[in-house]
Amino acid sequence: MSTTSRPDARTAPSVRKEGAPPGRGTAGGRRRREFTTRRGLVIAAFMAPAAVFVAVFTYYPMIAGSQMAFRNWNLTDLTDTSWVGWKNFTEVFTDPAWSTVVDNTLLWVVGSIVPQLVIGFAIALWLRRRFRFRGLYQALIFFPWAISGFLIGILFRWLFNSEFGVVNDLLQKAGLIDEPVAWLADPQTAMTAVLIANVWYGVTFFAIMILAALQSIPDELYEAAALDGAGKARTLFRITIPYIRVTLALTVLLRVIWIFNFPDLIFGMTGGGPNDETHIVTTWMIKITQQGDYGKASALGLLVVAVLLVFAVFFLLATRERRGGRGTTERGARA
Amino acid sequence: MRRRTAALAAGTAAVMVLTGCSTMSPGADGTVTLSMVESLTNPARTDLLEKLIADFEQQNPKIKVNLVSPPTEQADQKIQQMLQSGSGVDVLEVRDITVGPWSNNGWLYDMKKDLAGWKGWDALTDNAVAASEDDKGRTYFVPYGFYGLSLFHRTDLIEQAGFDEPPATWDELLEQAARIHDPAERRYGYAFRGGANAHSNATAAIEAYVAEKIDPANGYRLKDGSTIFSAPEALDAMETYLKLFRQASPKSSVAWGYPEMVEGFSNGSTAFLLQDPEVIATVSESKSIDKDQWSTAPLMAGPSGKTVQPLATAGWGVADGSKHKAEAVKLVEFLSEGEASTAFTKKNSLVPILKSAAQDEFYRTGPWASYVTMTENPDTYLVVTQPRGVAWWAEWQQRADTDVQKMVLGKLSPKELLAGWDAYWTEKWKK
Repeated sequence: MSTTSRPDARTAPSVRKEGAPPGRGTAGGRRRREFTTRRGLVIAAFMAPAAVFVAVFTYYPMIAGSQMAFRNWNLTDLTDTSWVGWKNFTEVFTDPAWSTVVDNTLLWVVGSIVPQLVIGFAIALWLRRRFRFRGLYQALIFFPWAISGFLIGILFRWLFNSEFGVVNDLLQKAGLIDEPVAWLADPQTAMTAVLIANVWYGVTFFAIMILAALQSIPDELYEAAALDGAGKARTLFRITIPYIRVTLALTVLLRVIWIFNFPDLIFGMTGGGPNDETHIVTTWMIKITQQGDYGKASALGLLVVAVLLVFAVFFLLATRERRGGRGTTERGARA
Repeated sequence: MRRRTAALAAGTAAVMVLTGCSTMSPGADGTVTLSMVESLTNPARTDLLEKLIADFEQQNPKIKVNLVSPPTEQADQKIQQMLQSGSGVDVLEVRDITVGPWSNNGWLYDMKKDLAGWKGWDALTDNAVAASEDDKGRTYFVPYGFYGLSLFHRTDLIEQAGFDEPPATWDELLEQAARIHDPAERRYGYAFRGGANAHSNATAAIEAYVAEKIDPANGYRLKDGSTIFSAPEALDAMETYLKLFRQASPKSSVAWGYPEMVEGFSNGSTAFLLQDPEVIATVSESKSIDKDQWSTAPLMAGPSGKTVQPLATAGWGVADGSKHKAEAVKLVEFLSEGEASTAFTKKNSLVPILKSAAQDEFYRTGPWASYVTMTENPDTYLVVTQPRGVAWWAEWQQRADTDVQKMVLGKLSPKELLAGWDAYWTEKWKK
């Protein structure tokens, strides 16, 4: 209703101002077009700084970076940056470290996200209840999210230090181990250590998002469920989870992308070692960049973008269907 | 009104674009502003540099200097990006590991002619003069000091283990460290470098073992032209080095980099540490060990009784894209002589570039004495140029570090490691 009335309201005064007699639609229409063009120019002029900024600082570097992937672009010698086709990509795929890097990346994403989701959900459910100092607890729990990933990596590197670290000290005092575990010296335990650190770090984000979603569930739903005699588990699976499904799905999507693109923690903690066995795609990309081989690193960067784009499209399609499902559930619950 | 708004928006856009394109040009009164970028940044060092710059500005009222101090970890990459863009940097910190690729790309200015009449040359040590020229005689940087290895050791633990003197050879180090090593008591023999830069100590051992055959112009080459890794002595060196890990070092030192090594020594748990002189300041502040419990000894020798000082260096250079090269060279000269140089090397715990330092009480006593001993006995502690300036150095470092980790994890034998390194350098030199 309002959308249809708006143009009339705008054109009317301008027609009157020009003193044109009513009923001369063509002249009025022409004036409207002139007016629109000028207005469009103003809008374009206002948008120009932002557009120029994004073009210069986001898209130009992206495109310039992409073409490096197809050239011999090594910072140690930029005298020959000729086109090499798919050579950089072939080198990535045939590198002996590639399969370890791919396995580690999958483990890094899945091994981080599942515990983060479960623990974050539990914390959010716990924080939803009203109790004394709830605000303080919330602030404390969300605190890790404010710290840089690289710094957390360095902190955990010391915590997991075999000789001087707190983790071994506590485990020994608790009688769980007899002698110190060389956490970061063995590829298996090093991967476990970085996953523990990332779970600790990322739980917070899930807790924040899920808590916000939980607070949008009307209390009447829980009251109705209680009247119908639904137990805690039934309430959780029939009301809570269906209601916040979309938030959960979008949070998982965001976190998969972020964790995939999160080299900071591993880089600070193990630097991809020992023996290059804790590298994920993005830490490996940093390593290649440090060697000066920007061509190969750009190829790897493009692969990461491609994988994440495909993932995001599939995931968004899947969640669109689910959103429809949620509507039904919601209506059902309300009824 | 509308026109004015449109003009305002267009103006804003133009200003935003133009500010991104502006460059520093001389002011109306002829004042020149230099942009100077440091690489090995730390807060105390930046404060000191700012003081030195203030002195320079006082002596040269027409020159202003803006110091840019990116965090160390990303500094060289930031400088690379600035150099690649061709503007925004006049004076910069050039390291022996960055001079190769940067000069290769034409980003550095050869100061040879500008410095031809510089009075500061006479005051520099032979090492400093040698390091200021590349193999083609070009001067891309003037070193501000050197980083050289010496053996930090616990005098009390050595005595308790029944030894009179700190180790003078790698074999003695293995013997002493193994006897002191007792993990059950949380006491460790040697702070093994297995993490970042692991190859540097491994190659120091190899160079000591092949000292008599080494080419002074290239620390990785023997006088007969083959690589040091191909010599039979190199295998002895790596076997001793591996034993040092297995018999005398904490297990987790597979992943130890600079922070863990220094912490291990300064918290009193580790008896031996091979490190640069900058660690003297850190260990001096330790609350776990007193100053009479530790000292430094010259770098250990190989079986021949000789060793190689694997000196690393860095200095100040001028960007090729600088529009104020004369002023920039003036700043480099100022930082490389007299009071400014002495203050910089002392406060940053560097081996000095000035001859006069050998007479300075500061360097003749305590933990610094071992560096003077090494400098004064070049027949035992050979001065050999390390090939750190080659374009592929960063690639080599990463590869060699991983190989050392593979070796200590038992996934590569010393023989296989050396064969790989020999093939790598032989191949690179062929190109």
